[in-house]
Amino acid sequence: MGIVIGPRVIDAGTSLLSVLISPVRVAAGYPSPAQDYFDGRIDLNEHLIKDITSTYVVRVSGDSMEGAGISDGDELIVNRALDPKDGSVVIAVLDGELTIKRLRITPSGVVLQADNPRYPDIRVPALSDLVIWGVATRCLHHV
Amino acid sequence: MSDARAPDTGRRIALVDVNCFYASAERAFDPSLEGRPLVVLSNNDGCAVTRSPEAKALGIPVGEPWFKIAPRAKEWGLVARSSNYELYGDISSRVMELLGRYSAWLEVYSIDEAFLGVKGTPDELLLLGQTIKGAVRRNIGVPVCVGIATTKTLAKLANKWAKNNPGLNGVCHWDAMPAQAREALMGRLSVIELWGVAGRLTKRLNGLGIHSILDLANADPVRIRDRFSVVLMRTVMELRGTPCIPMEEERVGRDQLIVSRSFSTPITTAADLRQVMSVYAQQASARLAKHGLQATVLTAFAGTSHYNPLDPSYPSVCVTLPMPTADPVLLTRASHALLPRIQEGIKYVRAGIMVTDLRPTGRQSPLPVFAKPHEERGIGTLLEDISRRYGRGSVGLGHAGIRGGPDWSMQRTMLSPRYTTNWDELPLVRAA
Repeated sequence: MGIVIGPRVIDAGTSLLSVLISPVRVAAGYPSPAQDYFDGRIDLNEHLIKDITSTYVVRVSGDSMEGAGISDGDELIVNRALDPKDGSVVIAVLDGELTIKRLRITPSGVVLQADNPRYPDIRVPALSDLVIWGVATRCLHHV
Repeated sequence: MSDARAPDTGRRIALVDVNCFYASAERAFDPSLEGRPLVVLSNNDGCAVTRSPEAKALGIPVGEPWFKIAPRAKEWGLVARSSNYELYGDISSRVMELLGRYSAWLEVYSIDEAFLGVKGTPDELLLLGQTIKGAVRRNIGVPVCVGIATTKTLAKLANKWAKNNPGLNGVCHWDAMPAQAREALMGRLSVIELWGVAGRLTKRLNGLGIHSILDLANADPVRIRDRFSVVLMRTVMELRGTPCIPMEEERVGRDQLIVSRSFSTPITTAADLRQVMSVYAQQASARLAKHGLQATVLTAFAGTSHYNPLDPSYPSVCVTLPMPTADPVLLTRASHALLPRIQEGIKYVRAGIMVTDLRPTGRQSPLPVFAKPHEERGIGTLLEDISRRYGRGSVGLGHAGIRGGPDWSMQRTMLSPRYTTNWDELPLVRAA
């Protein structure tokens, strides 16, 4: 498929990580078809984003997900095409706000957890009572 | 069901369009706007160009000036947003590419609607319609309605019916409706509701006793052609289920202009597509100049053939222009942003560009000597000559020149962030 996204969106490929690497050598008899297209630079879009049409980047505000390694000011890659599962880090709509939580689907109900003991769990009767905006797949943590 | 005389191949046309597009794009990133009356204002925050259903329910007409709405906004809990064309352009691009996954034949009709070639029984197509609707809502975040029929005109009508009839859950297949219901609907709707029929035409049609869409469908096509035009005759034929409206190559809408074309010979390289894009960009530039307009956002797209469904590819890219412009050089450069998305070797049979956020050129009030567009003055060759003589970089386009320049005069006080196209304006998610 072609790729669609505003050119100024996540073109970190050239500026952020212009790492020059060598083509990978593979065992004789298995030439990598990708080698023909090797252009010497890692494209972060290609590696970090599976479905660019359905992917948005958001920024975290707050410290409730510290336990998951997600800090205030970090960027998250969010794929809206994915099914949220037990354990997924999701963006849920709570009181009209995009909110990041860890989703727990248990026999006794659905729980939205913070990965920080200072914040209480939010219980919901069923997954259908929740609006899940997207599933976070990567955190771009500022080190 | 469909006309018994024609063998039913199951081929249909689906019209997919985003409900209240600008308002829905705003809501996709700000859920607090969900369920509240919302209007999106035209350039300079002048008047309401898009109204959410809640705003329509308040009786706010389309085009209502903001100064008339503003005094009651608080009482109504109404929210207004300035037009955020960067956001709308990017969301449009995403929607179009997602739609391309469901059909090998896609015609981008406007910023928020596209025709898709589909095939199947009514049941299969109703299911496909729901699948598309679900996917756009979920993957991109905006709601769409789907109308399916044998012709574009009927697909438009089916789409309108889907929008206004909650029982259909957003998808209407014209052939799946009982014949009686279709006739009743066409009898109830005025011809002005019809795609491509303007107000003036309506008056003339009324003069001939043609009031409802059903009247027009039953009119003699030859008489319609003689009295009006071949274009209206096609509409009559389409209402009767015979597809005859070809792809339109150039359209100027209220706030967008599209130039797109099919190629007689497929294009398989980015280098060739580069030339095509350049031609389109210059056409768009000429059209903008003719209408005295400038644009700030450009979308470039291409597509493969529906006869070759093996390697479907519908790349699309949205570019923000450095300033409001009709400059062929700037538009051309912007259109070339599509080229890296082109897969070499794949046969592209269509391409096009769409410019949006159109505004009158007059705002910049250029000096008369600078008023003519570049292409008329041979700027391109002039630049080339100077460069050849004095070296590269000796002369360039003045991005801050008199013709363009930053758009200081534009008021957009209620502008939402450029959530998807600007790193500093990403949507914030609460971790609390």
